[in-house]
Amino acid sequence: MSATGRILKEFSSLPNRRPLRLLGASGQLGYGIPTPAFNAGLERRPDLIGCDMGSIDIGPYYLGSGKMATARESTKRDLRKVLLAARKHDIPLVIGSAGSAGAAPHLAQTLELVREIAREQDLHFRLAYLPGDVPKDIVIGAVRAGKVWGLDGMPKLTEQDVENATHIVGQMGMSAFRRAFEADIDVLIAGRACDTAIFSTLPVMLGFPEGLAVHMAKIIECASLCCVPGGRDAILATLDDEGFTLESMAPQRRATPISVAAHSLYEQNDPYVILEPEGRVELHQAKYEALDERRTRVSGARWVPSSPHTIKIEGAQHLGERAVVLCGAADPRFIEKREEIMRDISKVVRDLVCEDSEEDYKLYWRFYGVDGVTDRQPGTPLPAEMFLLIECIAPTAARASEVMRTMKQYLLHFGYEGRLSTGGNLAFPFTPPEVSVGPAYKFNIYHVMESERLDDLFPLTVEQL
Amino acid sequence: MYLQDIAKVIRSKNAGPRCTTLDIMFNSDEDYQKVMDSGAISATLIAERYGVSQEDVRIIEYPMARALKVAIPRKVTAGDPGDRDVYGAQQHARLFKVKI
Repeated sequence: MSATGRILKEFSSLPNRRPLRLLGASGQLGYGIPTPAFNAGLERRPDLIGCDMGSIDIGPYYLGSGKMATARESTKRDLRKVLLAARKHDIPLVIGSAGSAGAAPHLAQTLELVREIAREQDLHFRLAYLPGDVPKDIVIGAVRAGKVWGLDGMPKLTEQDVENATHIVGQMGMSAFRRAFEADIDVLIAGRACDTAIFSTLPVMLGFPEGLAVHMAKIIECASLCCVPGGRDAILATLDDEGFTLESMAPQRRATPISVAAHSLYEQNDPYVILEPEGRVELHQAKYEALDERRTRVSGARWVPSSPHTIKIEGAQHLGERAVVLCGAADPRFIEKREEIMRDISKVVRDLVCEDSEEDYKLYWRFYGVDGVTDRQPGTPLPAEMFLLIECIAPTAARASEVMRTMKQYLLHFGYEGRLSTGGNLAFPFTPPEVSVGPAYKFNIYHVMESERLDDLFPLTVEQL
Repeated sequence: MYLQDIAKVIRSKNAGPRCTTLDIMFNSDEDYQKVMDSGAISATLIAERYGVSQEDVRIIEYPMARALKVAIPRKVTAGDPGDRDVYGAQQHARLFKVKI
């Protein structure tokens, strides 16, 4: 019998639900899972091991390009650790947002690693996977039907935006995961998914309250980040019908009422609400109570179902190829006139590389030391040194490189008004100072799509390894 | 007294690619209440420090974690060309010297 089959059967035969133990092994699979805490978690005989593997915070490159943010070897090491443990103890392993961005190439790379590990370790199990991609025709249909809304002021989605996206994913939720759990499986790898669904689906299927299950999931998907000191060690949640108890599996990390409550602030714009495809959790009545120095008991989350169901969709568009120049300056006159110089030199470069044709590239520059990170506040003195990151996005890598090489040379010797230093305006840390850094993308879809057919969006495949 | 002298945490981070959030957390209920009562963290102040309009500033009181959450729109979507802070993790420091 499969790992999910076994636990569903056990609970269906119990007169009263026993508490469910869930192990949050990693909030970022592929960056390392500390072994001592993970092993300590396994000794507590968890009913499920869950790992989140992705996020939108890493920017549009990974979704756009299909590349993983984590290195292949470190990802494989983490996957091996959780697969070996889950199979040894015969408990379900659930991984969400495979391969950093959760689109088809990310899922494929993750599955390839899973199959490779299974072969090398002689593991045999039922592997389920759920692609997170949303077909373009479905998104276009929803756009035409007026069932797509921009999030946080994103412009209205157009059919052209949909066509322009290299990949479009939707954050699947519990309904997709539920279909996988019902299919008698041992391991589930999901494409782009709500981080909560990894941990909330099984308890909800077993009859635990949805509000508590989702609230718990939202906390443990970040492993021990909700503790003081926060960290990436595994965390154990024990859930019953009235609440759940949190305990880090690293002895130095304490889950306190304040630290757990504070976790609701992290990367959320409203600490009182967790939005899900099928509804939302309200935390206004949530209670956080210390059981002892290291464990906190949480209760009070309320589930409010929504209709129709909605999913967040994300898409990234290829903009061109990026090249940059890395250089510094320590001349106070150059630093003072930086904006004017860059505007003037941009014209010089354009006349050289475009001649009579249209400008086919875009330039961006950042002055580190001045305002490379945040807007400059009035009255801030200028620094003694400044680092310049000059960037070009052009249709081809060769074109971006050409523009940056020309820029570098002419900026080096640009004769701005008042210049004393005729030897050169820039300090290069090494040569060549111009670097091609690959394709550039932007998020062109960050929207909510209404869907009556959530279940059809994320088809399930089960494979016997 | 400045906010940096009384706060336990002053941090920033994206909440999605279109929103920057600022979290201010305190060691005690007294410190939290003191800053709340001072009225120093207002939409006017945030709008002025971050160059956004007041209507776009959202301030949420979260006493159960002795914290204040501020949400403001990003001027550039995370990772768009010209963005300077993809994760939004370095937008907090201009709150350090808010007078309480």
